[in-house]
Amino acid sequence: MPSVPGRRLIGNEGESMNITILGISTGGPKTLQHVFRGLPRLNTCLILVQHMPRFINQSVVHTLGAGTDMDVQLADTGTTLRHGTVYVAPSDFHTVLVGNARLRLVDGEKVNYVRPSIDVTMRSLTAAGGPSLLGIVMTGLGRDGAAGLSHMKSLGATALAQDEASSVIFGMPAAAIETGCVDSVLPPSGIRRMLIEHWGYSRQGACAAARAAT
Amino acid sequence: MSTEVMMVDDDPAICFTVEAVLSQAGISVRSVQSGQDCLSALREGFRGVILMDVMMPRLDGWQTIERIVDEGLLDGNVVCMLTAVVSPGGEMESLKEYVVDYIRKPFEIAELIDTVQQCRQFLAAA
Repeated sequence: MPSVPGRRLIGNEGESMNITILGISTGGPKTLQHVFRGLPRLNTCLILVQHMPRFINQSVVHTLGAGTDMDVQLADTGTTLRHGTVYVAPSDFHTVLVGNARLRLVDGEKVNYVRPSIDVTMRSLTAAGGPSLLGIVMTGLGRDGAAGLSHMKSLGATALAQDEASSVIFGMPAAAIETGCVDSVLPPSGIRRMLIEHWGYSRQGACAAARAAT
Repeated sequence: MSTEVMMVDDDPAICFTVEAVLSQAGISVRSVQSGQDCLSALREGFRGVILMDVMMPRLDGWQTIERIVDEGLLDGNVVCMLTAVVSPGGEMESLKEYVVDYIRKPFEIAELIDTVQQCRQFLAAA
């Protein structure tokens, strides 16, 4: 849907668009289990940018999806963002957002030595439609995600970084913290809690939770 | 049962320990003592979890990974660094997308097993 100045983009369920971008690298698969296992269906679309070999892309999608009520799928060009869904950036492409509403895979040079780059995904966000934003940088070597998280913050995002004690390698979270844009430094359990508290359940997630409680 | 894990370390004591721990957990392991031996094993068809030490003579862990990628031998393998190096240097940055995890020595047995099990899951689902 093309953005119209002054008009908020509407996500599914008639609500404005809530976008989360989570970037992670070395130690990612193990760490993400602590975030995603049992994660309810949340009122956000989550773009996951993980530095990983292409060979395990589908495995990661499958493993994450088995443990969460969020729908988990590999990002692809033309995908329309929907709340309650995790989009995993595939290896060997940069994943960018178009109009804060759709995804596009871009062939291009590596950025920060990687492709997909967290910075590229985060920096593709714009102010169009006034989405609500949450940016997260977790364990990894290097600086990918620091500039991107700072950009998200400039658009009004809440910015999180993983803490040193729980990071397999603290490089990326440390670089993000150095920018001064991070609101909270948390372990994976805290990041998981923030995701739930910040966004709440999607409408389907709330119904499922109510059924489970009866 | 085909071997699931290849331990690459020039320290035979580390290899012995990792073999003992993983075998106890029902995971088959073979050890090689050099990057060159690792490459030979891959060329001969090994596919599985590779636990790679960093500090090895002649071909260190990063150089070995570079060669694995250059020779097109990465597909079908999941690489984890198992090393005493506290924080990897910048030379790893260009290789980080090929390494799934990083375990520091001395390692906790539970962490080693959990990491290997996670990697086996990825291989099974691939």
